Amino acid sequence: MQINFGGREIALKLVYYGPALSGKTTNLRALHQLTSEGSRGRLMTLETKDDRTLFFDMLPLAFRAPGAGGGMTLRIKIFTVPGQVLHASTRRLVLQGADGVAFVADSQISETEHNAASFLDLRQNLKDLNISLKQLPVIIQFNKRDLDRVRSDDELDALARRGREPVFKASAVNGTGVLETFFGLLHVTWTRLDAEHHLGQMLGIESGALLPMAARQLGITADVPTLLSSCVGGRLNPAPQVTP
Amino acid sequence: MTAAGAPHVAAADLLLDERLRLEDLVDRDGLDELCRSFHALFGIGVRIYSSDGALLADATGEQELCAYVNGMPEGRKACAATVAAVKARDAGDAGDVTHPCFTGATYRIQALEYDGRRVGRLIVGPFVPANVHAGPPATLLGIDAAVDPERAAALIARMPRVKPETITRMTAHLKSALDLILFSGHKAHVTSQMHLASVRESYRQLEDKTARLQEAFDRLKELDRLKSNFLATVSHELRTPLTSIIGYSEMLAEGLAGEMNAEQREFVQTIHDKGEQLLSLIMGLLDLSKLESGTMRMTLRAMRIEPVLDEVVSTLTPTARKKGVKLALDAATDLAELRGDPERLRQVFLNLVENAIKFTPAGGTVALRARMVEGGGGAEDGDDEGLALLAPVRARLEVRVVDTGIGIPARERPKVFDPFYQVDSSSTREYGGTGLGLSIVKRLVESHSGTIAIEDNEPKGTAFVVSLPPHVTQ
Repeated sequence: MQINFGGREIALKLVYYGPALSGKTTNLRALHQLTSEGSRGRLMTLETKDDRTLFFDMLPLAFRAPGAGGGMTLRIKIFTVPGQVLHASTRRLVLQGADGVAFVADSQISETEHNAASFLDLRQNLKDLNISLKQLPVIIQFNKRDLDRVRSDDELDALARRGREPVFKASAVNGTGVLETFFGLLHVTWTRLDAEHHLGQMLGIESGALLPMAARQLGITADVPTLLSSCVGGRLNPAPQVTP
Repeated sequence: MTAAGAPHVAAADLLLDERLRLEDLVDRDGLDELCRSFHALFGIGVRIYSSDGALLADATGEQELCAYVNGMPEGRKACAATVAAVKARDAGDAGDVTHPCFTGATYRIQALEYDGRRVGRLIVGPFVPANVHAGPPATLLGIDAAVDPERAAALIARMPRVKPETITRMTAHLKSALDLILFSGHKAHVTSQMHLASVRESYRQLEDKTARLQEAFDRLKELDRLKSNFLATVSHELRTPLTSIIGYSEMLAEGLAGEMNAEQREFVQTIHDKGEQLLSLIMGLLDLSKLESGTMRMTLRAMRIEPVLDEVVSTLTPTARKKGVKLALDAATDLAELRGDPERLRQVFLNLVENAIKFTPAGGTVALRARMVEGGGGAEDGDDEGLALLAPVRARLEVRVVDTGIGIPARERPKVFDPFYQVDSSSTREYGGTGLGLSIVKRLVESHSGTIAIEDNEPKGTAFVVSLPPHVTQ
């Protein structure tokens, strides 16, 4: 997070992490399509010929909070990392300074090991950056729900209940679960940062008003609580942490 | 708040909140080209300024009316003032303002935005709004006494005329074209930054690994040195009591402590022989460790090989005779001088010849042949370029120790120089030996800048070929 008082701006960085071909870029494309132009910029994708992400994709969003003294702007940049194993250093670079991470897993049973390996890779990269996974707001998306041979809903629900991270189900290629995932991530990230840095106060809004404001400015008609309610398991509203 | 703990990369900041400047994202010439094509298409001037007021592109031709007005001192002054005011004018909150000129024409000032921030201004004009049909305004006529109303009216009529909504569409189009250029520029910029950061990060990782490897290598080298030292110390300490064992058993065998019966003498003799054997093994270890640790003391000086070979032959002739093996020396008369340690070279050939005798059955022959060999050229280099110059320095003194013994299979040859290696471990029993001799020989030859190789001896047996560089006098 960066706060620029002179420019009256707060910048957040959200990262979509996950194994190769799990649909991170597809999530961003869908998010780009599902939102209106006013608050979001162009989707920047840096791809190779074969549609694999080379460095990252980036979707910038900007929300104006009508606070006192002309209001402030909350800028959110959403990044994806390249999933292929060989781009390890790029993943670490993109991950640096992340305020929240959405882990995009592939629901296919055959991908179970890749999901786990990528999550361990995330943990290791965070460790290299001196960030503990415990301290970082993280949500998990099980993508590709539309395919055959995926883990069943019941299985996922049972798995989700055992973990700490809120879990969302999605089929990014059809645009389902994409907004839910994004708002879930924004929710956990905002909750954490607001508790630590009183961002709501800075923006001149009630803490609970950010998500509805973001939804409105993105032209999303769905109700935020409804979006968040699709989460299974995990702790979407963690007990407020006392920061030293 | 961005991971302050990670010291090595700054790309996160670059990615998250970069202050983008118009002049960094676009190619100046390309921008100029875009403005010129706009000017060529609509006949209206375009200027682009960066957010700090620097002129980045300018495609304006002087309108006839402007040239006319500029021809008068007061007109020129008023024109300069208008241009300065337009240049300084902010685009306002809405990002789009119109600035009037005293001639009745107007300028359109449009804010350029990228990534939600203002990065510069676009100024289009002067042009006459299409809905204005009045004659020359009073501000124009009154600017200078010399203004001719008819001429002014004629020139105004020749100014570009555009409807306000058309100019809005035109500037919007220009803006969106620019936006695309900015986006492409930004993307290229980010890509190259990211590429650099990735390369730097990979380089850092490699450096880390190299440093760790170097550290491990240094530690191993140190361990190796310690091992050699240890070996040297232990060998030395073992030798001292062994000398007493050999000495006293020798005295016993000689009857210095009283007569012994035959059996007692045989036992004592065995103690003595095994003691000697142990001593030579320890001496070998000592030599090897000294050679490995580089502490073998050697005095290299100009010397001749013939006396060394003579001595080896005379020393080993009794051994050969006892075994029924013929020992011959054949040295050429043109042998060059060497630079070496005669004592160590004696050790080399003593060892090789002793070995040869050991592995040659009775009735066989062991020969020592020394001659000069032209080195270089031919097969080695593939041709003979510069051989006239190179051959003399490539000449080698070659000593072959040839036997008619059991031979060494080709695949075993590289290994026989390893310490403790025996071609056939059962041969240790048959022929004796520690397996240290040849590894010491190889190291001694190498410390004379020489090489040693094994070849077949036709039709039967082995040839050890020692090749030594001649002593080159400066």
